[in-house]
Amino acid sequence: SNAKDAKSTSDEDDSRDIGQQKIQEEILFHEETIDLGGDEFESEGNETVSEESNNFVDKLNEQMMESVIISDSPNNSEDDTGELGCLQEIVDQMEAKDSQKTQAEVDKEEFLSNESETEHEETPKDISEIGTDDQTSLKEESIQEAVKEEPKLRNNVPVETKPNNIDESKPEDQILSPSTTTPSTEAEPIPVCTIFSQANSASTQPQLFLPDGFEPQMVKSPSFSSVIETPVKSNPQVVQPSPSLSKFFGDTVNTNTLASDFFDSFTTSNFISVSNPNASSSVPEQMSSLSNGGGGSSSNPTFPMQNGRSEAGGPPSSLEITQSPKPFSQIQAVFAGSDDPFATALNMSELDRRNDAWIPSEETRNVLISVATQQYSAVFIDKENLTMPGLKFDNIQGDAVKDLMLRFLGEQAAVKRQVLNANSVEQSFVGLKQLISSKNWKAAVDLCGRLLTAHGQGYKKSGLPASHTTDSLQLWFVRLALLVKLNLFQNAEMEFEPFGNLDQPDLYYEYYPNVYPGRKGSMVPFSMRILHAELPQYLGNPQESLDRLHSMKIICAKILENLEQGLAEDGSMTNITQENRQASVQLWRSRLGRVMYSMANCLLMMKDYVLAVDAYHTVIKYYPQQEPQLLSGIGRIFLQIGDIKTAEKYFQDVEKVTHKLDGLQTQIMVLMNRAFLHLGQNNFAEAHRFFTEILRIDSSNAVANNNAAVCLLYLGKLKDSLRQLEGMVQQDPKHYLHESVLFNLTTMYELESSRSMQKKQALLEAVAVKEGDSFNTQCLKLG
Amino acid sequence: VMRLTKPTLFTNIPVTCEERDLPGNLFNQLMKDDPSTVKGAETLMLGEMLTLPQNFGNIFLGETFSSYISVHNDSNQVVKDILVKADLQTSSQRLNLSASSAAVAELKPDCCIDDVIHHEVKEIGTHILVCAVSYTTQTGEKMYFRKFFKFQVLKPLDVKTKFYNAETDEVFLEAQIQNITTSPMFMEKVSLEPSMMYNVAELNTVDTAGESESTFGARTYLQPMDTRQYLYCLKPKQEFAEKAGVIKGVTVIGKLDIVWKTNLGERGRLQTSQLQRMAPGYGDVRLSLETIPDTVNLEEPFDITCKITNCSERTMDLVLEMCNTNSIHWCGVSGRQLGKLHPSSSLHLALTLLSSVQGLQSVSGLRLTDTFLKRTYEYDDIAQVCVVSSEVKQS
Repeated sequence: SNAKDAKSTSDEDDSRDIGQQKIQEEILFHEETIDLGGDEFESEGNETVSEESNNFVDKLNEQMMESVIISDSPNNSEDDTGELGCLQEIVDQMEAKDSQKTQAEVDKEEFLSNESETEHEETPKDISEIGTDDQTSLKEESIQEAVKEEPKLRNNVPVETKPNNIDESKPEDQILSPSTTTPSTEAEPIPVCTIFSQANSASTQPQLFLPDGFEPQMVKSPSFSSVIETPVKSNPQVVQPSPSLSKFFGDTVNTNTLASDFFDSFTTSNFISVSNPNASSSVPEQMSSLSNGGGGSSSNPTFPMQNGRSEAGGPPSSLEITQSPKPFSQIQAVFAGSDDPFATALNMSELDRRNDAWIPSEETRNVLISVATQQYSAVFIDKENLTMPGLKFDNIQGDAVKDLMLRFLGEQAAVKRQVLNANSVEQSFVGLKQLISSKNWKAAVDLCGRLLTAHGQGYKKSGLPASHTTDSLQLWFVRLALLVKLNLFQNAEMEFEPFGNLDQPDLYYEYYPNVYPGRKGSMVPFSMRILHAELPQYLGNPQESLDRLHSMKIICAKILENLEQGLAEDGSMTNITQENRQASVQLWRSRLGRVMYSMANCLLMMKDYVLAVDAYHTVIKYYPQQEPQLLSGIGRIFLQIGDIKTAEKYFQDVEKVTHKLDGLQTQIMVLMNRAFLHLGQNNFAEAHRFFTEILRIDSSNAVANNNAAVCLLYLGKLKDSLRQLEGMVQQDPKHYLHESVLFNLTTMYELESSRSMQKKQALLEAVAVKEGDSFNTQCLKLG
Repeated sequence: VMRLTKPTLFTNIPVTCEERDLPGNLFNQLMKDDPSTVKGAETLMLGEMLTLPQNFGNIFLGETFSSYISVHNDSNQVVKDILVKADLQTSSQRLNLSASSAAVAELKPDCCIDDVIHHEVKEIGTHILVCAVSYTTQTGEKMYFRKFFKFQVLKPLDVKTKFYNAETDEVFLEAQIQNITTSPMFMEKVSLEPSMMYNVAELNTVDTAGESESTFGARTYLQPMDTRQYLYCLKPKQEFAEKAGVIKGVTVIGKLDIVWKTNLGERGRLQTSQLQRMAPGYGDVRLSLETIPDTVNLEEPFDITCKITNCSERTMDLVLEMCNTNSIHWCGVSGRQLGKLHPSSSLHLALTLLSSVQGLQSVSGLRLTDTFLKRTYEYDDIAQVCVVSSEVKQS
């Protein structure tokens, strides 16, 4: 049961649609009448077993494993007739007249269940018929509820029928071998992992878009790409090189910054732009065929994207020609410059090298070498080895919160809901950041798409040759990362697909010797590799994630080894100062640690707790400062398995480690662990005491607040629990409108009263004020 | 009504980036601001936030069914004399689970009566929770309604056993326990409660340097569909061992007591029914060894003591024959009368023999003939002895 629970905790993210139907019903216990069919079956099974126990004798000498009946009270088996009589009684009683009148809930479910009650009345004698009647009415119910519920039902079926299977196969068990029970293994839904289960991902995947109601967007609107991509070509734009990267990495509040600034800051090597701010070399790849690279001046920094869709028209054909993998021979690198910027440039390249280092596969390396040696003649590369990404779906803009408001609160209320969208911000990285930090991730994904379209990698561009820049890859990273954050894993996977294993030659700087003279390494940000490696686990394929993470780990380890041997990261004989080497080792160690972290998380999802715990121990080596948190985390893993003793041991270790440290944070951690331990011992009162203790020293602690409220519910204090959660949400809605908190709150509203709808709608209003379009409305259970 | 399974921990999906990436520290900041992440270790997937159970889930035999029952006055009238009754109807019985049966005097609008019920599930199959509420309205009208909540109880474990009979009267029990639930299961206790005739020794730990270590190693839990094998050694108690006839045919060995825990310490406990075993068939006459040396000298006589038990229902008149094999040579007269042996009685017999071949030798070649029925019982490979040359033994 716990797996189910756990599963849906995380399932809520990707299979909201199923969840919503399911949750509401299941928590309310499926209001149906008595199912006699199931009974008959099961009790029969029981009986056969007990009879068989006499036959044990015959088989004893056969040295085979025997199935054993499990029962708390072996004398439990009773006659079928007796029990049925009992149940019949209920049915009769249920006809008691005024029950419907006073029944609070008058929703559809109940109505249906009443229907089946009447069916019972009609055929009170024929028991088996009642059973089937009931089942059919049940089926009807679920069909009427929603087709979506089906996967869930299917999921349940094998589990429910299993006891029968086993009972029936028992005689064979004794004679054949223990393996006769394996048929039931197949019926069992494949367990995937505790904390995040994708067990039925196959069935949920197609519905990924449903929660947001966005499935139509998957179909591409033909106007979109042509609208966006044409301006790129029709406006021979000139790009203003930006003097320094820092401008865009920092939190510049320069709202006037133009998109073009951002583009070239990434597109061109800083090496060049720094040394020669007006250098013509800084041409984004779309420009190359337009051959105006040399004519660049900073006079016209306007970027067409500013005008968004308005600039339409123009045949898109010429663009395609531009995306040849041919080196950009028109561009001259300018190395001249004063001493000072040159030094900075060197420093930058040091940083570049450190960060971008990656070890390509043998094949890729050969291609890169041939590019380097035949700099100006085209190198022939198999199309399959090129990265040709493109948007796979249009904007997923849309605001689930607003949709719900329209549905429940009316148009007037919905109008008040104002969130930023891709049009309402600057069409640049600044706007992008603005969208991200205001939690309008869908709009941000949309904006990324537009910016990528401007890079010639827009919709329908997948499979067409493209050239890459630091910029385009960063945009891809942001877009894909946001898709993952939005739990749109399927979409992310589709768009990741053209990137292959992120090792194609055109993803290396060496492939573009003219655009990035002297620059080496991979354009793919390390974080994007992590994202790429982690993605399959969310789609039910954790093994693939592990494989990818392992190959990342090998390369990280190899880079560290190279550094230790006095070589550069990629193994070349470059002189690196001690200081830089140190910094590099530090960076790569932390990256290796990050890979280990992902592995540990992945193993945890796979429910391979032993390996996961080992992996977290390894992570501690790389991030010693996180030791207390990680040890606590391991403790919680054991708690989840049910191994309270080992959990306690880890919690004690945490207390030992934090013994020397003081400070609020560690104090809270220790108290939190103690509270969890009491939870594991079923002592909710004590657990509540410790959570409250945390609130005494840190009254704004969301976790403690929420957990204390949960404890109160288990102690039978629903109203107190609600008060605590409501108080918390009102106190600081900005922080506490978290989906887990809201989920608990709505669950309790449902328990409290059948009029939970009003309260849920009030929450929706609160959410509407504070949250962006990435808010997961599923937790409000307003379906 | 809501079933109270243990809450689960919220997990988040870490998306990180590096400082030099386009979003700068934006992603990391977002994760820091997220209340469900672990502060200081945001990349850790397993958070600390508890979330309430989202569906009924599965319930298994031996687990405790807990449920929250809340009666809420949705109306704007005060109602009186509220009586809440929660019964659990199983296929065989009806149990009352309400904590108190006293009526509540009045319930104001928007107030509720709360109750948390617990019940250890003891039956497989359909269970129906029946909640009945009766109350009196302001107008004095008596009202009554019931609600039904149905759930299925499933079997969590599959247990299989196997017995081995040792040459001595010991019995080894092998028990395979399979987790047939969908969640990992921590086995807190698996023990064999022997019947009155046996003493039991658990053989599931290995003593290393004074510390007993589980044979299952660090893996303290069972994944879904995993099976674990436990081993127990049962010795008949002295008083029963002596009475030869007692341990015969089907005997009750004892039962397995299994305690497990799942998510956040959700506990379950089950016992098997009495495990039964067929005592090994010894035929009519059982010959067992009482004493035998483990190492003997080559070509030197040694003594063994045999015990001959009449397991049949009739008296026997036995004649002992000793046949030499390639290596074993019996000393003494073959074909001697052992006299009458009554049912369930036994006699001890000292025999002398020597081996002419070195190495591990099997003691074989004893023949007992019951002169009443003219039936001969053959006893070969009774035991093994290690035969060494005398020099080796002396040195």
